[in-house]
This record gives sequence, structure tokens and C-alpha cells, in this order.
Amino acid sequence: MAGVQLNGIVKAYGAVQVVHGIDLEVNEQEFVVLVGPSGCGKSTTLRMIAGLEEISDGDLTIDGRRVNRVAPKDRDVAMVFQNYALYPHLNVAENIAFGLRIRKESKEVIASSVEEVGNILGLTPYLERRPADLSGGQRQRVAMGRAIVRRPKVFLFDEPLSNLDAKLRTQMRAEIKRLHKRLGATSIYVTHDQVEAMTLADRIVVMNDGKIEQVGSPMELFLNPANTFVAGFLGSPPMNMVAARIASGGDAPVAEFGGQRLTLAPLPSLQNAVGKDVILGIRPEFVRIADDSAADIVRVEVDLTETLGSEALIHASLNGEPFVIRTETVGQMNVLDGISGFTIAPNLIRVFDAKTGEALPGQVVEK
Amino acid sequence: MSSDPDFTGPKTEELVIEAREAQRERKPSRLNRVGDHLKREWQLYAMLIPTILWLLIFLYKPMYGLQIAFKDYSIFRGVAGSPWIGFEHFDALFNNDQFLRALRNTIIISMYGLLFGFPMPILLALMFNEVLNKVFKNTAQTIVYLPHFISSVIIAGIVITAFSPSAGIVNTILGWFGMDSIYFLTKPEWFRPIFVGTGIWQEAGFQSIVYLAAIAGVSPTLYESAVVDGASRWQMMWKITIPSIMPTIIIMLIIRIGNMLEVSFEMIILLYQPATFETADVVNTFIYRQGIQGGQYDLAAAAGLFNAVVAFVLVMTANTISKRYSRTSLW
Repeated sequence: MAGVQLNGIVKAYGAVQVVHGIDLEVNEQEFVVLVGPSGCGKSTTLRMIAGLEEISDGDLTIDGRRVNRVAPKDRDVAMVFQNYALYPHLNVAENIAFGLRIRKESKEVIASSVEEVGNILGLTPYLERRPADLSGGQRQRVAMGRAIVRRPKVFLFDEPLSNLDAKLRTQMRAEIKRLHKRLGATSIYVTHDQVEAMTLADRIVVMNDGKIEQVGSPMELFLNPANTFVAGFLGSPPMNMVAARIASGGDAPVAEFGGQRLTLAPLPSLQNAVGKDVILGIRPEFVRIADDSAADIVRVEVDLTETLGSEALIHASLNGEPFVIRTETVGQMNVLDGISGFTIAPNLIRVFDAKTGEALPGQVVEK
Repeated sequence: MSSDPDFTGPKTEELVIEAREAQRERKPSRLNRVGDHLKREWQLYAMLIPTILWLLIFLYKPMYGLQIAFKDYSIFRGVAGSPWIGFEHFDALFNNDQFLRALRNTIIISMYGLLFGFPMPILLALMFNEVLNKVFKNTAQTIVYLPHFISSVIIAGIVITAFSPSAGIVNTILGWFGMDSIYFLTKPEWFRPIFVGTGIWQEAGFQSIVYLAAIAGVSPTLYESAVVDGASRWQMMWKITIPSIMPTIIIMLIIRIGNMLEVSFEMIILLYQPATFETADVVNTFIYRQGIQGGQYDLAAAAGLFNAVVAFVLVMTANTISKRYSRTSLW
């Protein structure tokens, strides 16, 4: 297995630049997920790593070797495509063996490799079937089989689960995770689904508009988003954003908004920002529902409560903006209808500069 | 559910059977369902009417006249009034040297066409698919499509001129190499290559459109996946493009086999002459000479019917074989 380094990678189509100088280091055996909205350049970046797109500028290194001008077949990477890319005229065994046949491996090697992959992915009963006779999940497993049979240095996944239904996606997500644990392969995975990113990744790379917004472990990004984009992209429902102004509040600064105030963490960066316009990032999961009797309550107007079973989403509005609260239902069902606000621990509020959208320095929510 | 041990009402199984029977009784009859469907989708069926009329008038009504193949037909007595004579015309046909020669020529020319003419559009399409320069590709495609849009009479004129012994380009080139002029179109041994070659030149380009469309339908990710696996362009053509368009190739082959005895009638009429009848006369030209020129409509109808039956058997056989071995078939 090998690491992958991207140094100042640029992709331009004529005068239009779509990837603007990406720097990223993927360590050996690491599972890195590139996540971002459609058109953010994540698939293009992956295709540049695969060699399917030419790199306009910068250096791409795989296992310490610069591969900008190296043909895809000589990069020793394997790719799993969104629509599986299975050959309809070949059966499962032939599809899995395709790469080995192209490389003129011996019949014995091909047979044993196909058998092994069939066992790993639970495809042995289907080896004689054609792709048209398989379910979506089975096809996806064949696509993965095609990738792992060659034992490449790096696995590339281009939104491999987006064609599956929600239940199958959850199941295949777990299978991919198990497979990665078993093979220990360096993997780069592209998705626009933040749940996939959170569940699969050792590290997540959040991309937007051809640039990397933040790189970190799923919990780092969830707890300490570097800016409002990352804060809004990761988490379901996303982080609530409340426009406020920082004011002096004695021991700790406070955030004032619409006649209400919230005590913030007593951090120097926040104390020095008194008078500054900010955006408060409040995770729906971090707030506690409260009634009128609670001290430091922030009042909201509840519009709707969605009960999801073990938890409920309370859709409210704060200062005219939508505000979502996620809370447990067990033992609380009788109070859900009567809530008038919430409380939150000051260290769980993320404060962003209203002008730049960047988080003010020094704020760290511990895992 | 009642927990009363004395409960004597119907059991669940009986209730289910009863419900099923009631449902069956409520189900509308097939006739009613067809009626409902027609009422709902009448616009679609209305659009079918012109095609059905065309089929009835031009393909089914003439079938009535086919009976003259079994009659001693006279235009004065008409189709219905002519007396039945059974298989006499077929007997005469199979004892007619000209018909047997025409049948042999038809089969040989068709086989040549199948052997050389059928693969040509596929090869052209594969080659066009590999051309990366868009301008060159478009120009080349236009050039090879062009002969299809030229009238067969003009094509024949071009061929006759090209192979002319005095001023034809072919003989001029032969002359450059010190070879004597050949009057190609009067030599029976040259007729079939010239005819098949002309057919390829005229139609291969246009026929390649079908295969180009099939190639365009192949998912680009199949190629990308193969590139990552290390396949060369040649391997991709053999292992992806050709297998992917194989269903189209098979369908076209079945259609071609069905039309095997229908060699390009007008082109033969335009190119052949008595000197080349030996290799050029085919069933259709035989029918034309006997039926239209010779007034033997009944004999010509028998020959035409024989042609149709053979074509039917060929297409059925090809379709069955294809269905069994390649999962692709016309029906």
C-alpha cells in the first residue's frame, strides 16, 4: 500500500479553472473521504488521481513517485464507479477477472483470485450470472471485486453508493468499512453524502468551489468546523446559524441577538471581539429544551415537532430565522409541546466572523 | 378475535376463500378490459390507422394475387377466373435452367454481400469511433455517406464510366502498369466483384450510422474502467465496443439474412447485359424478364413466392439460432 500526495493540484478547462491548487496528503492505509456539494471538484480531483483527467498544474505523487504523466494502468490504482461500470456481456467471474486478463495473468492466478474475491464479497453463488441478473447491491459488490482483485496500491471510489436505495446504502457502507479494515488499503472516496463521509472516513476533506475548506477527522470537523460552510455541510440537521453581536458580559462575553443574549465561553479571542458582528453556530444536538422557569433561556417560536422514534426534531424560529432542536423523546414526550426555548453550554457554541465566515480562533470543543 | 370456545362462525381459511371468489366475480372480463383500454388509449390506436391501412393495401391485398402461382393465369380471365393447375409452375421453374442459374447467382451474390458487405459498415463505424480529430471525422463520414443519396442510375453510370475500356479510370491505372484494357462489364467473372463492391461503396457508409448509434450508447465509464484496468484502445475495441454492439450486429444480420434473396434488383438491371447473364442474372431479374417483359405473370409469381418462402425460412432459422446462442432476437 502507498500514500498519495497532492501538491498544488489545478484543473482547468481552457480558461475556466475548476480545481484551484489542492494540497492534500493521504497516508498509507488511510480512508479519506472527499465530500462537498455537486460541482465542487471532488470527482474531478479523484479522476485526476486515477489518470482519467489530465492535471493542469501541480504534482501528484503515489508511493513517492510523481505520476502526473503516468498512464492510469501504470499508477497501480483501482477505481469503483458510481454506475458500477460492469461489462454487460461478461458474467460476474469474467467481470472480476477483466483487469487480470488484460494484464495477461495466468489462468491459475485468475481462477484463484476470482475465487478469493468471490469469497470475500459473498459473490461465489453469483459468479456465473450476468450483471443484468443481479440486484443493485450485488452489482456494487462486483464493482468492488473488480477493484480489489488486482490488489492495487490505492482504491478510488467515485460515489459508489449513490445509485442504491437508503437501506442498501447503509448495508453497503458497513461492507465497505469492513472491507477496508480487512484489506487495509489506502482509499480515497468521493461522496456528496455527509453521512457516508462521517461513517466511513478516517479523515474527511470538505471541498467547495474547487478548494479544500477543511481536513480532519469526522468528529473534529463536526465539533470544530473551520467556517460556516463546513458547519452547514456536516451534520444532519445542519448547524443552526444565528446572527449576533458580541458584547461585554462581566466574566464572559455574551452574544446579543433580537433582544436576547447567550453567554459565550470566556476565551480571549471572544473577549477581544466585543462589538463585532458574528454568527453563532449551534448544533441541534447540543441544546437542551427548556421551559420558562429556566435561567439563561433562549426563547424560540416552535412551528412543528417531528417525532422520529427515539428522538424528535423541533422546528422553530429564532430571530426570524429557522432553528432546529434535536432532542430525545424517551421521558420527554409530555414536555415537547410545551417548550418555549433552550439552553446551551457556552463552550458548545461555535462563533464565526460574520464577514469572513471563519471561526474565531482559540475555540476548541473537546471530543 | 373472539376467545369464546363456543364460537361457531366461519374459520379464517373459509373467509379467505370467500373473499377470493368474490374478488374473482368482481374482476371485469377480458373483453371489458380491452374495451376500457381502447377507450382510454384511443388516440394511440388512431395514430396506428395509416400504417395499418398501408400494410393492408400494399402488402396484404396483393397477397390475393399470389394464387396465380398455382393457376394458369390469363389477364382476360382474371385472378379468380383462371383455372387451378397446382404446382405446375414450380415444377416448370425447377426444370428451367435459367431459373436455376438465377437462383445460384442470387445465392452466390448474396453470400458475397454477406461476407464482404455486412462487416464493412461495422468496420467503418469502429474506425470512425477511433478517430479523435473531429473535423477529419465529420468530413470522412460525410464522404462515405454521400453515395447513399445518389440515385442508383447515376451510381451505375459512374461505375460504367469508371470501368470503361477506353476512358475509365480503372483501365487507365492498369495502363500505367503496362496492362491491357479489360472490358470489365462484359466479363462474367468480373460482374460479381464489381456489383458487390458497388453495393459496399454506395451503402456501407450509411449503414454504419446504425452501428455508430449503438457505439454511442456504450457507457463511457466502461472505457474509463478499462483504462484504469490497463486496456489498450485495441483491447477496448475487442473487449468492450464489439461485444456491446453485438445485439445490434445480430439484429442487423438477421434482417440481412431475411433479405438475402433480395439482391439490389435495379443495380443488376442497370449493370448487367446478356454477356454477363451467366453470373449476373438473379431471381428478381428473372422474374422481371419473365413476368413484365415475357408476360408470364403466373410463372413469375411462382418464382416470387418461392423467394418469399425461402426468405421466411431463413429469417426464422437465423432468429431461432440467435435466440438460443446469443439471447438476442428480433422477436
